[in-house]
Amino acid sequence: MISVQSVCKTYNEGRPSALTALDGIDLEIARNALTVFKGPSGSGKTTLLSIISCMARPTSGRVLIDGRMVSGLPERFLTLERRRTFGFVFQRFNLIRGLSVLENVLLPATPLGGERRADAKRALARLEMLGIAGKAGERVEFLSGGEAQRAAIARALINDPPVLIADEPTANLDTELAHRFLDIVSGLRAEGRTVIMTSHDPRIWAADQVDRVVSMRDGRLEENEA
Amino acid sequence: MRRTRIVFGLLAAGTATLALASLHARITTAPERARMARSAALVRAVGLTDLALFTEARFTRNPALADLQTAFQDAPMSFEHFPSGTFAPRPAAGFGRGELRFGPEEAAR
Amino acid sequence: MTSWLRRQRALAEYTLAALARRRIKNTGLLLIYAMVIFVVASATLFATALRKEAEVVLAEAPEVIIQNLVMGRHDLIPGDVIAEIDGIRGVASIKGRLWGYFYDRLNGANYTLMVPLDPAMAPPAGQAIIGESLPRVREMPWETAPLFLSRTPGDLVRFDIAKRLSSDSALVSTDLILLNEANFRAFFELPEDVYTDIALSIRNPREIDTIVEKIGRLLPNARLVTRDEIARTYQKLFSWREGIMVLLAGASVLAFVIFAAEKASGLSAEETREIGILKAIGWDTGDVIAMKLWEGGLVSFGAFLLGTVLAYLHVFAFDAGLFASVLKGWSVIYPDFALTPGIDGLQLTALFFLTVLPYMAATIVPIWRAATADPDQVMR
Repeated sequence: MISVQSVCKTYNEGRPSALTALDGIDLEIARNALTVFKGPSGSGKTTLLSIISCMARPTSGRVLIDGRMVSGLPERFLTLERRRTFGFVFQRFNLIRGLSVLENVLLPATPLGGERRADAKRALARLEMLGIAGKAGERVEFLSGGEAQRAAIARALINDPPVLIADEPTANLDTELAHRFLDIVSGLRAEGRTVIMTSHDPRIWAADQVDRVVSMRDGRLEENEA
Repeated sequence: MRRTRIVFGLLAAGTATLALASLHARITTAPERARMARSAALVRAVGLTDLALFTEARFTRNPALADLQTAFQDAPMSFEHFPSGTFAPRPAAGFGRGELRFGPEEAAR
Repeated sequence: MTSWLRRQRALAEYTLAALARRRIKNTGLLLIYAMVIFVVASATLFATALRKEAEVVLAEAPEVIIQNLVMGRHDLIPGDVIAEIDGIRGVASIKGRLWGYFYDRLNGANYTLMVPLDPAMAPPAGQAIIGESLPRVREMPWETAPLFLSRTPGDLVRFDIAKRLSSDSALVSTDLILLNEANFRAFFELPEDVYTDIALSIRNPREIDTIVEKIGRLLPNARLVTRDEIARTYQKLFSWREGIMVLLAGASVLAFVIFAAEKASGLSAEETREIGILKAIGWDTGDVIAMKLWEGGLVSFGAFLLGTVLAYLHVFAFDAGLFASVLKGWSVIYPDFALTPGIDGLQLTALFFLTVLPYMAATIVPIWRAATADPDQVMR
């Protein structure tokens, strides 16, 4: 579904502070699978994730989504691609403070101009499914870590994207919540979604629900595990 | 959507109030014109030349008739002696507008 | 179209939710902004109304006033001048005006004593017609209370009140004490046959210049004031005053813009991060800018409406009470006048653009960079 072909990424190119984060990555990511990038910090897994999800552009190489070349697209089209294809769960959840859970969940739907009431209904249904419908009106600063993560998942799914991107989703969670997260994610896969995430959490690598672990070091792929 | 409803409502109310104000201005035009006509009639009957807005000094009470030639005293620039002077300009017309002229006798010579 | 509207509405909703987070600060900002607009709008409305009043009312002033000058100072003018000018063609009437000031030692007010030009208007002997401020500053308890004026210690001249002038004409008549000619001359111990100045009425306004020219030749020492000059004096006076107020307020507008730009350009790390989050979850640059436009637009339009409506009320319902002390200066008498309500569409539009646009610009411009930044920085 997603094809990464000899992708390199250099930050601050041409300057003394230049940093090569990715160095010739070739990777195929299967549809409807749960793929995990693992590796120590600085290994380039987050950079790879942002390039796959159209948040950043590779310095060289190509990224194809369903055979469409996306790596060279101008910003506007990247935004459209991001909107249509991906839902994001960030490491620190990146909920917007001061807004309610429901308002946060509705944010990705805002620029689409959909029927607001229908959007809200969908959002509430998703929150219900994740078990935090009771918190819909609460401001996000008052949520616990697990609740905030579930709010972030609901937000990622509001536009019904085929791919869910998660960056270190379990870094701030205890074991029980980490397992709960994996349950949620495998539920999403059962809905037909593709899930790609980064993690340096051994609990994740070892989990049954994970289809594939891609190991990275110094901007290169090390090995693939099934 | 609750917030936009409130705020748009308030803005609409504000716009309506402004429209109401301009309607009020229009409605009062006729009676106000009559009032000003009465004032104007008084001006004509009494022979007034000035507004009685600043009564603190001669040249502020009657700026139109102020003594232009007296240096430093009654010239409109003396407005500066008074708080209202901060807001009154030196008239552009009136200073040095005269001309040299010979009287009939000089002209005869 | 409906989708566009819904999108705009959702963006506005987001902006409002974001503004509501710092409710007190943002309300304060709105109020200060509204206050600046209020001052500018008040000054504009007030000056326009005064200009209009002066224009309409003083259009009935004498066409030409002849002042006598002695040693460069305004002096009494001998009555025989009237006969001299009488021959000039086009002059409809010539009348000596008698007027002077009277300083009231009781309360420090300056009154204007005057003999009406129109004899029909003159009060009977021993009586006076008074302007609306006199009962106020003299605390005359009842309608028929007589007016006592004292020129020297121990001296009291009594005038019964023939009439009180209505406050309709306060702007021209507030400090007037109208007497008949005999009483006026007696009060100021003025000899017969001198006048304060001479008022001419001229049949054809187009002849004014020619007539002024002729009189100038006859009376080289005299100063001639035409009605046009009076009108111009007042147009300038109020434009100047308005200009000063607008200038002062303009400075505050500028200060406000600097403040707004400063606030916006020192975009807090939090705000930058939020924009990054919004971009990451699928907002594009246009959405972020539109959202900020809503912020600037709602705040500045709200402030504009609030400021203008309050200014209208201030000037026309409360008689520009806040400006009164400035206009009053050191004078004791301040007319209790009402102005003709009026809104000039052009002025209002100018005010709108002068106040709303700078604020919008100050909100939008700094956001531009943050909005066009790559979204992946939120991942790091």
